[in-house]
Amino acid sequence: MPELPELDPVVHGKLRLAVLSLLVGVEEADFTWLRQKTGSTDGNLGAQMLKLEEAGYVAMEKRFAGRKPQTLYRMTAAGREALAAYVAALKQLLGAAL
Amino acid sequence: MTTSEMDNGTTRDELLQRVALMEAMIAEGRKSTARYGWIFVMWGLIYFVAMGWAVFLPFKEWAWPVCVTVGVVVGMVRTRRRADGSSESQRSRTIEAVWQAMCVAIILYVIAAGVSGHGNQAAYYAAVFFFVGLAHGISARILGWGVQGLVAFLFWGCGTAMFFVQTRNQILAVFLAAAFFGMICFGLYAMMLERQRAAAQVQRQVQHYA
Repeated sequence: MPELPELDPVVHGKLRLAVLSLLVGVEEADFTWLRQKTGSTDGNLGAQMLKLEEAGYVAMEKRFAGRKPQTLYRMTAAGREALAAYVAALKQLLGAAL
Repeated sequence: MTTSEMDNGTTRDELLQRVALMEAMIAEGRKSTARYGWIFVMWGLIYFVAMGWAVFLPFKEWAWPVCVTVGVVVGMVRTRRRADGSSESQRSRTIEAVWQAMCVAIILYVIAAGVSGHGNQAAYYAAVFFFVGLAHGISARILGWGVQGLVAFLFWGCGTAMFFVQTRNQILAVFLAAAFFGMICFGLYAMMLERQRAAAQVQRQVQHYA
């Protein structure tokens, strides 16, 4: 019997997975937009974004839109690879569970 | 192992929830993709309606102010509704800024020309065409989109032609040709491309996550 794959714990977290799934379809997104789409709090989202950043899955950029500060995130190549690997692992696990 | 626990302690239901979460979030992200083709179609139709009103209906002095106001309000409401926060890129922000500046320039020009009574009708339309051509030209350069570049030249050509036409009917013909080809046809083409791009994106995501 083939060995079941491990799920990347960084990607597997619900909020982190939601954020990566949002980012995969857009060029970049700001913190407020991500918070609004995921329905999370500032604190929780900030902490999860930091974990994704530390893993190298997202890149953060701070800039000003007029006088308003903006925190923008974009998915990195490593993030895309990690999400693809996570989906492959999910498929294998769900296949094995059926 | 149906609803049971996997080797790593994760249940099947939990994994299915993750799949559903990914699908929902991807759909949310896709909703935010900006679409602009409709704006060109709307303005092209507004030009036709305003011109038709000004030529065939009573209260012709109200034709352009009323139609342009309706266009501006509808455009602002729909754009605001779509731009829900921001997954927009620097490039799309730059293009939006160009079009917003063009709108302000045209509105000021139309009001100033109307109130002061300076300038003849041909020169008045020519200036508007040069403004619109300029915005198309900048957008085409930023996007690297040849079709939009052609539309810019269409407007510049129509603007130039305005100085050489003789009769009111010729002015009308040039104006309507620019509105039809440069706004309505181009807008429909852009909408078709946006639809194809959205379908291709869904296809890619379905293949990726299938």
